[in-house]
Amino acid sequence: MLLLLIFCPMALGFVCYLLGRRSAALRSLCGVAATGLELALSLVLALGPMRAESLPGICSLGLSVELDGFRKVYIVIVALMWFMTMLLSDEYFARYHHRGRYYFFNLMTLGATMGVFLAADLFTAFIFFEVMSFTSYTWVIQEETPGAIRAANTYLAVAVIGGLVALMGLFLLQNRLGTTEVARLYDLALACPDKTALWIAGGCILFGFGAKAGMFPLHIWLPKAHPVAPAPASALLSGVLTKSGVWGILAISCNIFRHDPAWGTLILTLGTVTMVLGAVLATFSIDLKRTLACSSMSQIGFVLVGVGMMGILGEENALAARGALLHMMNHSLFKLVLFECAGVVYMNLHKLDLNEIRGFGRKKPLLKIAFLLGAMGIGGVPLLNGYVSKTLLHEAIVEGGSYRLAEWLFLFSGGLTVAYMTKLYVCIFAEKHPEKQAEFDENRHYMNLRSAIAVCVPALILPILGLTASRSMDAIASLGTDFFRAGPMEHAVHYLSLENLKGAAVSLAIGALVYLLVVRKLLMRDGRYVNLWPSKLDLEDLVYRPLLLSWLPGILGPVCALFGENRISGPVFRWILDVPLGQGSRLFGENRITGPAYRLGVDALGTASDLTGNNRVSGPLAKKLMRAGSILMHALLDLPDAAVYVLHRTFYRESRIPTGERALESLPYRAGDRIDRWKVRHGTENAGEHRYARLNYRVWRTLRATTHRITGNLSFALLMLCVALTVVLIYVIGYHM
Amino acid sequence: MNQILMLAAIGLPILAGACQSLIVGKGERSGRIYTSAVMLLTSAITWALILTAPEERFALLSFTDVLTLVLRFDRLGRFFAGIIATLWPLTTLYAFEYMKEDPRKTPFFAFFTMAFGVTLGVAMAGNLFTMYCFYELLTLSTAPLVLHPNTKEAVRAARTYFAYSLGGAAFAFAAMIFLISNGETADFVLGGVLHTYPYARPQFTLIFYTLGFFGFGVKAAMLPSCRWLPIASAAPTPVTALLHAVAVVKSGVFAIIRLTWFAYGTRLLIGTWAQTVALCAAIATIFYGASRAVKETHWKRRLAWSTVANLSYIIFGAVLMTPAGLSAGLLHMAFHAEIKILAFFCCGAVLHQTGREYISELDGLGRRMPVTFVCFTVSALALVGIPPLSGFVSKWSLLTAAADSGTPLAYAGAGILLAAALLTAVYMLTTVARAWFPVGGGTLDNSGVREASWRMTVPMVILAAAIVLTGVFASPVIRAAQAIAGLG
Repeated sequence: MLLLLIFCPMALGFVCYLLGRRSAALRSLCGVAATGLELALSLVLALGPMRAESLPGICSLGLSVELDGFRKVYIVIVALMWFMTMLLSDEYFARYHHRGRYYFFNLMTLGATMGVFLAADLFTAFIFFEVMSFTSYTWVIQEETPGAIRAANTYLAVAVIGGLVALMGLFLLQNRLGTTEVARLYDLALACPDKTALWIAGGCILFGFGAKAGMFPLHIWLPKAHPVAPAPASALLSGVLTKSGVWGILAISCNIFRHDPAWGTLILTLGTVTMVLGAVLATFSIDLKRTLACSSMSQIGFVLVGVGMMGILGEENALAARGALLHMMNHSLFKLVLFECAGVVYMNLHKLDLNEIRGFGRKKPLLKIAFLLGAMGIGGVPLLNGYVSKTLLHEAIVEGGSYRLAEWLFLFSGGLTVAYMTKLYVCIFAEKHPEKQAEFDENRHYMNLRSAIAVCVPALILPILGLTASRSMDAIASLGTDFFRAGPMEHAVHYLSLENLKGAAVSLAIGALVYLLVVRKLLMRDGRYVNLWPSKLDLEDLVYRPLLLSWLPGILGPVCALFGENRISGPVFRWILDVPLGQGSRLFGENRITGPAYRLGVDALGTASDLTGNNRVSGPLAKKLMRAGSILMHALLDLPDAAVYVLHRTFYRESRIPTGERALESLPYRAGDRIDRWKVRHGTENAGEHRYARLNYRVWRTLRATTHRITGNLSFALLMLCVALTVVLIYVIGYHM
Repeated sequence: MNQILMLAAIGLPILAGACQSLIVGKGERSGRIYTSAVMLLTSAITWALILTAPEERFALLSFTDVLTLVLRFDRLGRFFAGIIATLWPLTTLYAFEYMKEDPRKTPFFAFFTMAFGVTLGVAMAGNLFTMYCFYELLTLSTAPLVLHPNTKEAVRAARTYFAYSLGGAAFAFAAMIFLISNGETADFVLGGVLHTYPYARPQFTLIFYTLGFFGFGVKAAMLPSCRWLPIASAAPTPVTALLHAVAVVKSGVFAIIRLTWFAYGTRLLIGTWAQTVALCAAIATIFYGASRAVKETHWKRRLAWSTVANLSYIIFGAVLMTPAGLSAGLLHMAFHAEIKILAFFCCGAVLHQTGREYISELDGLGRRMPVTFVCFTVSALALVGIPPLSGFVSKWSLLTAAADSGTPLAYAGAGILLAAALLTAVYMLTTVARAWFPVGGGTLDNSGVREASWRMTVPMVILAAAIVLTGVFASPVIRAAQAIAGLG
């Protein structure tokens, strides 16, 4: 059943793609049906008992999945988000190209994401995590504009590097602990003496999953990918895919580093930085979806703060655990609502700049209420669900005692959340567009029924959860205690107690102040939003790209160049290579070192031949012998060639003699020349006749020509060889049988 | 019966290739039928042998007691022959289409067929001498294939190939003679035939092993003699795909495994400087090949450099000298074969349809040749090691084997493997991204570019499916590889 949850949408992805070639309506129907089926299935499973399944042997170690309380919550959230975004997709993509691709990869990603959340061991999680990374790449690049391509490349690079680093951590873990099964990690890690290796492995896994979660300093892809991706995809990227990263961080934090204050502090620090940075960036952004993206980053920071506190608080970490779980869930729901609202805006206007879209939401009550609910929820306004989770997280920090700075930063980020959400709300739903307001107000059919359902139903869930917090949300939080390894709750939390309301009030007050003083005064001029987005301060452009694209090659390039690519070591290296490998003959040729020695040798040879050849007794004999020898040589050397000619009907092909290799050819010539010169000196030959030089040269040429013809006829020679071999084989068969 | 079948598997393609021009002449259709019949028959015989698993030794011919031509089809040989016998018919189908316009098809297919038999001979060889003979024959029978286009580049490629291969084999020859004169038996035995160092000084043995390692390493494109492989990519694509990604280079790797595990033996070698040298060479080649692949802009040569790196993955696994390492290396041998041959097929399909050779010319071709590029994407992802594709399984095994062996050099190797995976991602995925999502919509005129015909796409689709299936259901291959290494 659990595996059905993973593989059913993947299979339906193919169906959807094939149907889409027939008609677009059928395709979107199939998409909705597939995600609807997934939602129904996950609800049935969530209401059923816990279970575990496995497929041994798949991808070498086998896949294993299980369903516990936390996973029950999350599969429902995932399926719900996919269903809702799929409802919106039909209208949103009406004018897009490559819809088939989107639907196909969307359903593939659904299956893979389910796989990550259901995974019972980190190996299974990693497999689906990688699949998810690659299939979701197509979401970011969907529009294929230069901006989208750049953002997608960043996304891919982060995914690949993150994946590899996580893989390194995983195999180290597998090596040290012998398993990656989440449930057994705690005991094994306790027993493992090599804590350093565990920390390295943990760090690698944190890097890999943190990159997907958008954790500082690996958040670079988030603010870039969200604005360019289609809104339904942004909702999923932000609401679900980042959570799969958090899932991985949780899996190690709650097990390998359970109750480890040092690890907790690390996560807390990274979480706090992410939280504040995201909130500040969101305040400065004037792009609707980028603001939401930075907000996602900030909210992930909130969750990580909770995860960090879980480690710091040790056994009494129930508050932190419940807060982290609830905030994860809440954030998924907020971002679903908010990105879908942004999607509605974008599909009408095809713009995201706040100055261009201001006033669009006026006189559109459905959209307005949905957005307001989402904004208030994420801002932590009491009676909505965001308030509950933030209160829990706040209490957890307070419980930690000496974390005043973290507490204030937490409240400050909460305030900034209020400020930027107010900014968005006021801009879209309260202010008027200077020119196009009338046009906006007339646009009554800004979304169809399906889209309206997609926007409103998730928005309604927020207050329902918020109002029934002590029943619904507490129950959900209790479901997650197993996975989070949370201790028991010491006392029930009264969400609406004065103490807790005070925290929310502080945040709201900070938010109001920031909005009035910073946003209205600093970030707006002449009624327009000023773009103060710090695009120069881009970690990617300042550090990562230079590091990977110029510094590393700058260092490694020279190292590689040592192997034969530059002027200094290149010739040396090539020379070393060439000598043992067949071109040793160069040694005997025309270089400066061996050349003179060789020539000397040739000279000596000439003198020696004189001794035998040029007196009256032996002279004529030697001459005759030489003549006879050369004829014999001719005959011998041409013999294979003759054979080739006779049998040339098979593969014969003439190859030209390469010219211009005078170095080799002149050797015999010169040898003959010595003899000639000596003879001229002694008067037995006329000057300029060059008899022996020519003779030698001709012999040499014939030799070369023949060898060349033979290499040209290598095919023929081989044929002969193979025939011979076959004869041998036949003989052997006959002999042995 | 088995003996006749073994001889037939080797002899049939050699004989058939030699007689091709006599029997079919220049007829195109008859040539195709003839070649495919021979290929299929040989593959069928080979697979029949693999499944019946004959273990007996078959001495063909003995010159002296030790110099004997012996065939024995043991597990490792069956593994290698399985890869060969599966991929050869697929490549033949592909080659029919690729070489369609070529005027000299007959000699091409003649040598192509012969090389099949010779490679099977390498796989079935029962001792070092026999393997060496077939190994040299392989050089001879494949050089004309490299020479085939007859362009200046191809002539240079063939000469380089020749010079390197024969030069390397000379070193291997020395290692062979040492072993023949000192081994207890000349046959291959898992664990090696030397029980102690034959001379008082162990250095003597180690030097000869190292000579043999680098000698056979020439065909496996190890540093310092890896340059021939990218140059040899001037050959027609089916040759580059099958011979220079699978048959020839894997014969080099196969020979190194035989030398290390079945001849000199890991008992003696493990922990010596010879192992250190071998590991260092493998690690350096991995990194060097991957970096060069990133730098290369010619598509086929880039894939060739990538082959250089990936062959050393296998060797790295083998010279870890642990059974886990060997089985991981063998796993990568099988998986890399299917991945890289597919990548070359896709590259060749583009070359055949458009004549484009450089990566910058691929902008936007993905939509024009969807099947080709979907297949290439699968192969690229698998090569990077993305689960659940097959490349992931073998890389995972290599990494765990390296970590389990526990020496510092093995850890360094694991690190380099990951760095190389990153480089692989750079050089493969940029190609994929260009083809599907050209920056700025692409400026090339792709109108008129058509998808390749079924003879090309069918092998590609089969291989892509195989990559997915062997990745997901890797257990049978893993079990086979582990059985060879004596695990379980």
